[in-house]
Amino acid sequence: MEMSAISCRGLSRRFGQRTALSDLTLEVPAGSVFGFLGPNGSGKTTTVRLLLGILRPTSGEVRVFGLDPIVDGERVRSQCSVVLDQVGLYERLTARQNLEFAARTARFPMSELGGRIDAALRRVELFDRRDDRVSGFSKGMRQKLGVARALLTEPRLLVLDEPTAGLDPENIVMLRELLLSLAQEGGRTIFLCTHLLDEAQKICTQVGILQQGHLLAVGEPGEIAGSRGPSVRMRVMRLTPEMTLDLPAGARMQRLEGDAWRCTLAREDDVEAVVAALVRAGVGVREVTPEGLSLEEAYLQVIGGERHA
Amino acid sequence: MRDLSTMVWKEIAEFIGNKRALRVFGIAVLIMGIIPTITARHTAIGAAAAIRALVEVLYVLFATLIVVANTAPDLVLHERVGRTLDYLLATRLPDSAIFLGKVIVSAATGYLAAMVAIALQLLVYAALVGHGWSWLYLAEPIGRILAFGITAALAVYVSVVGTFVALHVGDQRSAYLVTVLSIGVILAPLLLGWVQIQSTTSWFADAAMIFGAIAILLAAIGVLLFKREMLMLNLQE
Repeated sequence: MEMSAISCRGLSRRFGQRTALSDLTLEVPAGSVFGFLGPNGSGKTTTVRLLLGILRPTSGEVRVFGLDPIVDGERVRSQCSVVLDQVGLYERLTARQNLEFAARTARFPMSELGGRIDAALRRVELFDRRDDRVSGFSKGMRQKLGVARALLTEPRLLVLDEPTAGLDPENIVMLRELLLSLAQEGGRTIFLCTHLLDEAQKICTQVGILQQGHLLAVGEPGEIAGSRGPSVRMRVMRLTPEMTLDLPAGARMQRLEGDAWRCTLAREDDVEAVVAALVRAGVGVREVTPEGLSLEEAYLQVIGGERHA
Repeated sequence: MRDLSTMVWKEIAEFIGNKRALRVFGIAVLIMGIIPTITARHTAIGAAAAIRALVEVLYVLFATLIVVANTAPDLVLHERVGRTLDYLLATRLPDSAIFLGKVIVSAATGYLAAMVAIALQLLVYAALVGHGWSWLYLAEPIGRILAFGITAALAVYVSVVGTFVALHVGDQRSAYLVTVLSIGVILAPLLLGWVQIQSTTSWFADAAMIFGAIAILLAAIGVLLFKREMLMLNLQE
């Protein structure tokens, strides 16, 4: 039987009166690319710290490759690498020294260090800046160096916590391509905490949506999008958000922009009933187009639905 | 041992790259290396050798105190300020290597400051008077015990205290002040009159050994008590 890379059962963590993570139950298969989605403060970073044994759970249990991160912290961490939004590079050290520290912590033979470090620096196009202190690096360069440092130790589990936070569009594209190539390489489990839903949809084999410490949805990106029900895009006249409509059960209108609206349906057959309800309310329906939800749209519905619940 | 040497390597590299720490080191060494030679020219004659040594070697101890009290908290606090804490704690380095790496490097820089200050004192005195190598406290056993033994114990003691203070105090200045004030704990038996200083070599040798034992015991307790989540909990809450 294939071992899960990550397994959480009823995992919770409180800080004083505040609950950062509540009853998280999750299985991440080995070799998968798991996208952990959620707004700021939803508990993603707390989850990462629990996975790495940096924090103790208040209740519940977590296993990484079958090991308890608190009991076997050293063994768990020796199989993992992290890239955080605050990359955590030592600014007083050069790019090379940062990687050398990572390589030394992994206990690589000293004879291999130079070759591995140079290869990692070349991969992220920072070889020419190897002897410069990191304090002079741009955000994008730091993020690239952070990824190089994480890959240097050849981890079985790569944890990326908001790796694109604060990057300009050019560097986001660069990092997206790097992540895509990592995902395509296979062989390692990637746990990606991100706001970039487009990227998550492209590279993740599974995603989970976290909100205020609660896991709201988990599954393949297509499944999550599909589970939100069919939807149609409409162009209408004289419809305002304040109007009361006699829509079929489970149907919901959402304004996009101008005269464009999205109607989420409980059943595909409800389209005619929705159009009829709009006409009865005096709304002019100019166009109705069936559409599939993107992960981003499904995410916003899940998060929005929870907020309105 | 390999993990400890990795941590020590990283801390030394960071110390060398830390302009502020190097400035404090340089200023402490220069001041404590030059002032005693000037004052010694006026006070050397007529004072009892032990008391004279005690007073003049204080400059060496001050150099150690200033450097370690700055370095020890900085080695912890810069991990928070520089946001490297999560990364460090996510490495496979054991807790003991993280703690001891910081303690050893800050203690070593303090001891190095003392030795450089002594060398500077000797060079300056030799330049001024012409016979620095037999100068004052280094010619006396008590002076040598203070300069090499008590200084080493002080460096370890302040380093352990400074590291633990930094785990609970958020800013460098407060951590520095609390660390310096912790010297009062060691001096309390003397200040309260529970222990009388005797100007004998054996008394100072015993004092150095007891102080050294206390410092090493504190470091051992520190290794046992230090858990990586301590850093994280303080950061979170």
